[in-house]
Amino acid sequence: MEQRLIKVIAAALGVDASTLKLDTTADDVAAWDSVAQVNIVSEIEAEFGVSIPIEKIAEIHRIREFLPYLTKGPS
Amino acid sequence: MKAALISNVNVESLARRIEGHEVFIAGGYGAWTQELANPSSDLWSFDPSAVFLLLDGAELALKAGDASFEGLAAALDEHLSWIQGAAESHPSAKIFVSTLDVPRQWLRSLKSRVAERHVEHHWYARLTALSEALPNMYAFDVKAIVETIGRPQFYSAKRWYVGGMRYGIQGEKDLAREMTRMLDVLVRAGKKLLVLDLDHTLWGGIVGEDGINGIALSATGPGARYKDFQRRVRQLKELGVILAVVSKNNEADVLEVFDKHPDMVLRKDDFAMMKVNWAPKPQNIAELAQDLDLGTDSFVFIDDNPVEREAVRSALPDVVVPEFPADTCDLPQFLEQIQRDHFFVLAATEEDRKRTETYLQNAKRSVERNAAGSVEEFLAALKTKITLGRVTDDDVARAAQLTQKTNQFNLTTRRYTEQDVQRFRNSRDYSVYLASVSDKYGDNGKVLLAIVHKVGNDTAELDTFLMSCRVMGRFIEDQVLDHLVRELRGSGVSKLLVHYTPTKKNPPAKAFCERLQGGVATHGAQDPQQGTATTTWTFDLTQGSPVTTPAYAEIMSR
Repeated sequence: MEQRLIKVIAAALGVDASTLKLDTTADDVAAWDSVAQVNIVSEIEAEFGVSIPIEKIAEIHRIREFLPYLTKGPS
Repeated sequence: MKAALISNVNVESLARRIEGHEVFIAGGYGAWTQELANPSSDLWSFDPSAVFLLLDGAELALKAGDASFEGLAAALDEHLSWIQGAAESHPSAKIFVSTLDVPRQWLRSLKSRVAERHVEHHWYARLTALSEALPNMYAFDVKAIVETIGRPQFYSAKRWYVGGMRYGIQGEKDLAREMTRMLDVLVRAGKKLLVLDLDHTLWGGIVGEDGINGIALSATGPGARYKDFQRRVRQLKELGVILAVVSKNNEADVLEVFDKHPDMVLRKDDFAMMKVNWAPKPQNIAELAQDLDLGTDSFVFIDDNPVEREAVRSALPDVVVPEFPADTCDLPQFLEQIQRDHFFVLAATEEDRKRTETYLQNAKRSVERNAAGSVEEFLAALKTKITLGRVTDDDVARAAQLTQKTNQFNLTTRRYTEQDVQRFRNSRDYSVYLASVSDKYGDNGKVLLAIVHKVGNDTAELDTFLMSCRVMGRFIEDQVLDHLVRELRGSGVSKLLVHYTPTKKNPPAKAFCERLQGGVATHGAQDPQQGTATTTWTFDLTQGSPVTTPAYAEIMSR
């Protein structure tokens, strides 16, 4: 699950997956700006078949923080 | 390629998906009309070769603020007049304007008219009319992408509300792919020739075993998938793609199908060349390239047999060999994909259609050359007609173009403008001749230019003598010079100077000079920049013509 998440984010950012860790933040990656943030959300939603609430999107800065949204149901 | 993108929604993410080109997003998304209209806007200051105007239908409709068709149409017409003005004042930029998709914006009863739908058609009708009137404007069919993947895939409500990004991930990827395709085709030419297998490709089954009545090819039912495939191949040809066949078969079986099968769409004449024999396909394809004088890097090869595909891939890595569809019901769609990927064109011109014809004629000449016992027999069989005359007003552009573009058969490689050519025409000392060449296979057009300069009472020099490579190897130049010599002698000229200035590309011109007879050669000083020296041969015309090649063509003066 974690590796799949990293792979999806790496693809959305256009960077190599090996450069990303669970604790990588938006500040660590030059390509990770607000547009990229939206793309990451879209790709995660498509890959895992989930929905990340619109209010939460701006709060997420660290890859790890996506983990609670990867499974359906109450988080 | 410098491409500008303007839109009424946020297209930042879309722009990032376009690779291999410099993409600039001009203006905020409320300001696209000003960007278009103002000649000193960021958009035009960027000096783009291509401009994409990507309009979101929902935004346009909401901004128009009118739920009636008349209100919306009036707003759109105003936008179109901005677009037209921009296209007209920037003729060197290609402008791609999106077709509209307008999802419903107003809740309505079933009885009431859906203005959104009418608006889409209205925009399309006006846009295509504009595109026909303006050579640099194209309709970018965004609506077609929506139709293919559906609105739920094309749009994303979440991305819109979060970031003003209208398109979903899939919609964005498809848009970027189509836009990249359009930009690519501006920088590099697509493929030129499609090589087709026959059995299991143009028809179902094997003609050598199943016979003409046993192959699958029909107007309806399962055989229709091959007929539909052939129809699209025929359409490719209309777009300027050259067609060829390479098939392991008995030629008689194949020709019977082409001549007699009622459901064949393609005819023998649709193909520039057919190689129907038992030789290995890579060898046949290499021969095709040679016969048609095309590089195999401009070839696409379609064959159902994976072994043949592999053989071609490994022997001729330049040839594009797409995988054949696993389900032959996908054949028509497969060819549509091939067209988009390899033969995409912005506009098919008369020239494109003519090009196919030219290659077909060249192929026939080449076959005849191989069949003829000798060069002389071949040349005689072509029934060449050369029409030679002084350059007229209508020819000036062509004459200048020939001096600019001709590299191989060009004795002096002097480049002239149209004004230069006019100057020669107005001078008493110069005569400018243009010759056109036709033969039994067709017209090659105006292909030979000679500029004769009278340098004294009895002396003339060839300032320029050049010929398009289209007709090289047929001794046209010998025929024309012989004719000119006769004309010069008639007007009292007894001495002719022929200059040859070597370049990297013009050894064919040297070969011509060296086969002329009776000249006395003198070598000029070496050019300090080029490191080459002009050789001048002086011919005494009272001793006869320098041309020794026997006359075979009919020369007419005009």
